[in-house]
Amino acid sequence: MASSSSSGLTFKLHPLVIVNISDHYTRIKSQSLPPSTTPHAPSASNVADAESSSPPQQSPRVFGCVIGVQRGRTVEIFNSFELLFDPLTHSLDRAFLEKKQELYKKVFPNFYILGWYSTGSDAQESDMLIHRALIFVRSGYTIETVEAERISIDHVAHLKPSDGGSAATQLAAHLTGIHSAIKMLNSRIRGLNHYLLAMQKGDVPVENSLLRQVSSLLRRLPAIESEKFQDDFLMEYNDTLLISYLAMFTNCSSTMNELVDKFNTAYDRQSRRGGRSAFI
Amino acid sequence: MNLNMNSVETLVAQIHGLSGSISDINQLHSLLKQSEDLFQSESTRLAPLLTELDPFMHSLGYLYILDASTSAPISKEQASELVLSIARFINLCAAEQIRLAPDKFTSVCKRFKDQVMLLEDPMRGVAPMLTAIRKLQLSSEHLTTLHPDFLLLCLLAKCYKTGLSILEDDIFDVDQPRDFFLYCYYGAMICIGQKKFSKALELLHNVVTAPMSILNAIVVEAYKKYILVSLIHVGQFSISFPKYTSSVAQRNLKNFSQPYLELANSYGAGKISELELCVQAHNEKFEFDRNLGLVKQVVLCMYKRNIQRLTQTYLTLSLQDIANTVQLNSAKEAEMHVLQMIQDGEIYATINQKDGMVRFLEDPEQYWEKRIFCVDSTDVALEFCFRIMMLSRKLTDMDEQLSCDPLYLAKAGKERQRFDFDDFDSVPSSKFTI
Repeated sequence: MASSSSSGLTFKLHPLVIVNISDHYTRIKSQSLPPSTTPHAPSASNVADAESSSPPQQSPRVFGCVIGVQRGRTVEIFNSFELLFDPLTHSLDRAFLEKKQELYKKVFPNFYILGWYSTGSDAQESDMLIHRALIFVRSGYTIETVEAERISIDHVAHLKPSDGGSAATQLAAHLTGIHSAIKMLNSRIRGLNHYLLAMQKGDVPVENSLLRQVSSLLRRLPAIESEKFQDDFLMEYNDTLLISYLAMFTNCSSTMNELVDKFNTAYDRQSRRGGRSAFI
Repeated sequence: MNLNMNSVETLVAQIHGLSGSISDINQLHSLLKQSEDLFQSESTRLAPLLTELDPFMHSLGYLYILDASTSAPISKEQASELVLSIARFINLCAAEQIRLAPDKFTSVCKRFKDQVMLLEDPMRGVAPMLTAIRKLQLSSEHLTTLHPDFLLLCLLAKCYKTGLSILEDDIFDVDQPRDFFLYCYYGAMICIGQKKFSKALELLHNVVTAPMSILNAIVVEAYKKYILVSLIHVGQFSISFPKYTSSVAQRNLKNFSQPYLELANSYGAGKISELELCVQAHNEKFEFDRNLGLVKQVVLCMYKRNIQRLTQTYLTLSLQDIANTVQLNSAKEAEMHVLQMIQDGEIYATINQKDGMVRFLEDPEQYWEKRIFCVDSTDVALEFCFRIMMLSRKLTDMDEQLSCDPLYLAKAGKERQRFDFDDFDSVPSSKFTI
């Protein structure tokens, strides 16, 4: 998207808007479809899909208004809300729009209606009618985020299953992802190695083009080789090892402590709590 | 009689025939077990049969016959030959076969050890014993009955380094408690001989805190040495026991080691003269326990520790001053002590012989030796991590096993507070057996 528009303004879009639009679309879609077929739940990435290409079946188009702030040359879009769209008359419910606008004005006095959105493919003729009601300019936008929104986006991007992300589960999910990626890389390389060995032994006919490809691939890894990288990498590696070592140590000590207590309870003649068992 | 010999010979033929596959060997094993009495009755005539058998291929059969033929008392002349033949068997036998009859193998090896000691040549027994242990062990973490015998031979033969190699292994499985006590005690003595006091302390600590239901002599002696080694290595001794010590040991050990505890007390007070008095007073007791050498080292350590304390206060000191503070007789003695300490690496200093001054220096490699987690040794760090992971797994397994132990469950139920009305009835009490 071009960063500068024909009007000379720069636009900023908050992720909340994207989430809202996606949510709106999902709701409408799931409500309109017959109960036998269940729609797949779109993630944040699907918003782009929805806006670039329309799915084969009759997908509803949703409409809404975007609101935000305009400061000089910068337009920042903070929020959005939905509009009721009547497909027959191809017109928007004006009264609803006005009521909504009033409500939002009360909560966010600074925000103005900056524009409108709709999902689906390129603007159609009908849209021009709507557009005339509200005069706007097409332009590019950049996405800016606020810290709080970034967390929620992170959530959705990682598709967390039902329990909310604590730091531990996020880390585990992240590490699992890396682990499976590395495992896959390892198995691929092992497969290549096996193949090359077979080629060397003569079981497989030698293919020069394939060899050239493998050699170019291998030249690309490892990606970074500098000495500074090695130092930093080893330091971080050692730090991680040290932390896991300490953690396991503590775990061991705790297990050992419990074990000793249990052993004393079970096998020591004189019980620690004032000699209940027989004294021999 | 001849009938018996015939049956023995048929057995030998069976041994030849059935030493092939594993199923054959199991069959042979049951046959041999049934023929125990036969072997016993013919014990005197079995020796020549051994020549017909191969110690490697027919290890099991060889073992049975060897065991029976050595059960009779052996004269001194035969001892040497016997030692040779058993050593040969140990070196050549097949580990899988002898593991089927561990008791027989152990008894053969014990007799071997007795013979070697009878001949007063423990050196001959060291190497075969080590081989025997490695073949009998199910894993390097397994403590067999042969371990303490081996260490005893090492001690008598003054072959300390070989003994140390066995001591490096961690132990997780123990056959008999008595083996463990003896193993740790002898092991500690070997370590003391090699001046590896920290390992010795660890082993003695294991003896003293091992689970036991009654006190035994090994623990009493170990406790005495424990006090001494603790004074030498750590410089102090605390009479409180860790909580995993058996209550038997906690209550009774102190009664048997009064002189040593007094020694520890006077060491703690810090005055050489008092310490020497104490040593003099209990000299006979120390000598009787054969701990006099250790006691002398304790006194030496007192001097060393006093000199070390000086390094923290002074940068330079004259030899005469050192002698005075540490209560040595002369500057010459002080110089000898300091020189020895510098050589042993216990102190960092330079002696200026011209004016008799000692300058104390900083340890240049203070933290260098102890580094594990640093940039150039990641494989060492990884090894540590793997070891502790394995340990952690073992500990959790043991914990789970113990939680299911009926003895534990019975006692745990008994000791719970009966304040909750809901579990008043469901707590297993001693009236019902589980």
